[in-house]
Amino acid sequence: MWEALIKIGLLIFVIMTAVAYFVLLERKVAAWVQDRKGPNRVGLPLTKIRLFGMGQPLADGVKMVLKEEYIPGHVDKALYVLAPISILASALATFAVIPFGSIWPTADGYIDFVVAPGFDAGLIYVFALSGIAVYGVILGGWASNNKYSFLGGLRSSAQLIAYEIPLSLGILGIVLTAGSLRLDTVIAQQAETGMWNAFVQPLGFVVFLVAATAEAARLPFDLPEAEQELIGGFHTEYSGMKLVMYASAEFLHMITAAFLIVILFLGGWHFWGITGSGTEITWVTALLRVLVLFAKICLVVFGFMMVRWTLPRFRFDQLMALAWKVMLPLGMVNLVLVAAMVEYFNNAVAEKPLMVFLVMTGLMLVSIVVTAVLAPLGSRNERSPVGDLPT
Amino acid sequence: MKPDDPDILWVDEPKLGLAGKLYLPLIAQGLTTTTKHLFGKKVTVSYPDSEPEIANPLIYRGVHRLNRDEQGRVKCVACFLCATACPAHCIDIIGTESPWEDREKYPESFTIDELRCIYCGMCEEACPVDAIELTSLYNLTGRSREEMVFDKEKLLSVFDQTKDAEPMKSQTVANSLADTTPPKGGAS
Amino acid sequence: MSPESWLYAGATVLGAVGMWLLLPRPGERMRWVGAAMSVVSLGLILSQVSALGDMLSQSMFIVIGSTTVISAAAAVTFRNPVYCAIWFAMMLLGTAGLFMIQGSHFLSVATIVVYAGAILVTLLFVLMLANPRGNAPYDRVSWEGPLSATAGIVLVGMLTMTLGGVLKSKSFAADMPSELIAAQEAQADDQADAAGPVNILTQDHSASLGARMFSAHLVSIEVAGVLLLAALVGAVAIIAHSRAAQPEEAKSAAQVAMQAPSENGRDR
Repeated sequence: MWEALIKIGLLIFVIMTAVAYFVLLERKVAAWVQDRKGPNRVGLPLTKIRLFGMGQPLADGVKMVLKEEYIPGHVDKALYVLAPISILASALATFAVIPFGSIWPTADGYIDFVVAPGFDAGLIYVFALSGIAVYGVILGGWASNNKYSFLGGLRSSAQLIAYEIPLSLGILGIVLTAGSLRLDTVIAQQAETGMWNAFVQPLGFVVFLVAATAEAARLPFDLPEAEQELIGGFHTEYSGMKLVMYASAEFLHMITAAFLIVILFLGGWHFWGITGSGTEITWVTALLRVLVLFAKICLVVFGFMMVRWTLPRFRFDQLMALAWKVMLPLGMVNLVLVAAMVEYFNNAVAEKPLMVFLVMTGLMLVSIVVTAVLAPLGSRNERSPVGDLPT
Repeated sequence: MKPDDPDILWVDEPKLGLAGKLYLPLIAQGLTTTTKHLFGKKVTVSYPDSEPEIANPLIYRGVHRLNRDEQGRVKCVACFLCATACPAHCIDIIGTESPWEDREKYPESFTIDELRCIYCGMCEEACPVDAIELTSLYNLTGRSREEMVFDKEKLLSVFDQTKDAEPMKSQTVANSLADTTPPKGGAS
Repeated sequence: MSPESWLYAGATVLGAVGMWLLLPRPGERMRWVGAAMSVVSLGLILSQVSALGDMLSQSMFIVIGSTTVISAAAAVTFRNPVYCAIWFAMMLLGTAGLFMIQGSHFLSVATIVVYAGAILVTLLFVLMLANPRGNAPYDRVSWEGPLSATAGIVLVGMLTMTLGGVLKSKSFAADMPSELIAAQEAQADDQADAAGPVNILTQDHSASLGARMFSAHLVSIEVAGVLLLAALVGAVAIIAHSRAAQPEEAKSAAQVAMQAPSENGRDR
């Protein structure tokens, strides 16, 4: 029990610090992409040491904490307060089953780098909690009693429900090959063969990547907030600590998505030639595995941020079309492909990895081209027949 | 208005090519652009650490100055054209009879409220004798509102301060037109 | 009858009356009295649940169990439908927590995914779009109030009685629930599974659960699948029907707009 409590404390500390610094990184990346320098002034408090702006999260945090806890008069108070709490709680609880390393060898056995080791439905647990997170958004939007917030909440609930389907289809392929719902088993299986799932199931990877971006409501899928049209969407009416809760929950969702992408498709803590693959390890290897995992996470998060400044936001009908007409069929195709591979070429991954990779990539390209031609992501903004009202 | 009205110009969306339909090539293209900018030259000036470079002081609109003529007198003839042109009504002139022979009036007092000013340069445009000009001084600060109301002496002292770096614009433009050489930048 | 049975009976009657008073209907009618009666009845019933293993799991069970029951009561007694939905979600979370305590990880998270994550969110969506304030009269009336209140509280009382009675008579150890379930499984599947009792709550229980569902209960799974497929086809048929009807309506609307004497509505 003490072991679990220590793990929880450590995890929350690390994750919340990571959130704070990812906020800084987001601002930095935004600045770099726009040819600016970004926040670089705040360093150690009370000194003139700047440290490339590393003190900025601290300053932001102090500012937000000291802000007035203002509740507008027109809101539904109970739900207004409940919404940010529920979204932050569910976002944090997700990390109970996510391994943030491999194992730590001790004198008698080893310690798992996961808060709830042996939880046998880890993948579905992550899903369940992302389903709970929808409540925070939809309740916040409704309780705010504001049209923009309400629109944001409705958009987000539709979006999150729609993208949960391709997300689960992407995961199903992994479950099929790993034969387990446990995240550590998935990593162990990839480490064993040395073939990351991204190479075995490239189509699943693409589907999952897109769906995870949408689930984390990152651009180009940030319709729930959409500053330009909805002034911030569901959190328009929030300020101070409650806004911090929403913002950190958003970043936690992004980190969760990055963790899932890395663990499910990019081999988790495994890297060829550095980390080994077994359970008989020294503490050096254990540390290396943690570092490899965190390096991968940072890379994926950085990728999210780059995509944010690259792609414009989808329109809502395009968003739904992408989910139902493109991602859903692609996910189905991936599931069938993986099932066929598992059934007929079960040993191929270990024996002929290159061939599996090439065949699967080829099939991915074919299916993407076919889907793109059959269900183009165009708009329905066509000219109406003359004599009829333009729609 | 009917849909087939000849005044309506119907614009059809351009058809997407295969790359557009596939979406992925365009994402790669966009990512290449952003990655280039990621490592490109930054345009930010770390202001107190490094001063911004003003490319062309002739067209920069900073703090005002009142020009002096060759004898060191204020050039202004108190014609009120600048005060009339000013959209922010920040120029306040009290004209009186001139002690000199070459003009009838001169400003007894000439104040500009630098906080009201919007730095549009209309006064500069309006002045018939090129007496008021906008310099390239940008770091205008003060501790009180009163301090930010510049009187005649203050405006003349701005001229004394900047006349070497920025000669009077009328002369500069005349010279540059005569030489057909572009004006040199880099003040302050 | 023993004093305990009398206590259960009294608590159940008290709870039923309290719930009936709590149920929403026009006008305020002693809702506070109802709430107090329900809480007292729940406390009486809970007081009869004897030790369920060690302190920690006991207190966890009591906390999560009473949260679930109270949320369930709140879900039917609140007037604002949105609040009812939130309480229902809370109740589902409590149920999931109870499953989790029993070691049934898969069932617990599946409950959240299916009910709280998908169905209830859609319901909430509709509620918020349709009638955000719950001001409609039909929202303020609960139908079959006395019957449902009695049935609900009797169910709670019976379940608690069974739980308490089993615990008292057999005095199981801390791992009682899994053994109990294993024993029941063995009873139910004696004919189906000749290999003896199967404890599905093992370390790898999702896999064994799946294997069991697709071997011993294959027919039930297939029947459920066919049912879902039929529902899906029905949903598609309904949508296709309304889609087919739509263009005509749009066309007639357009004609009306064209024939309308005023130019309003056609100037976009």
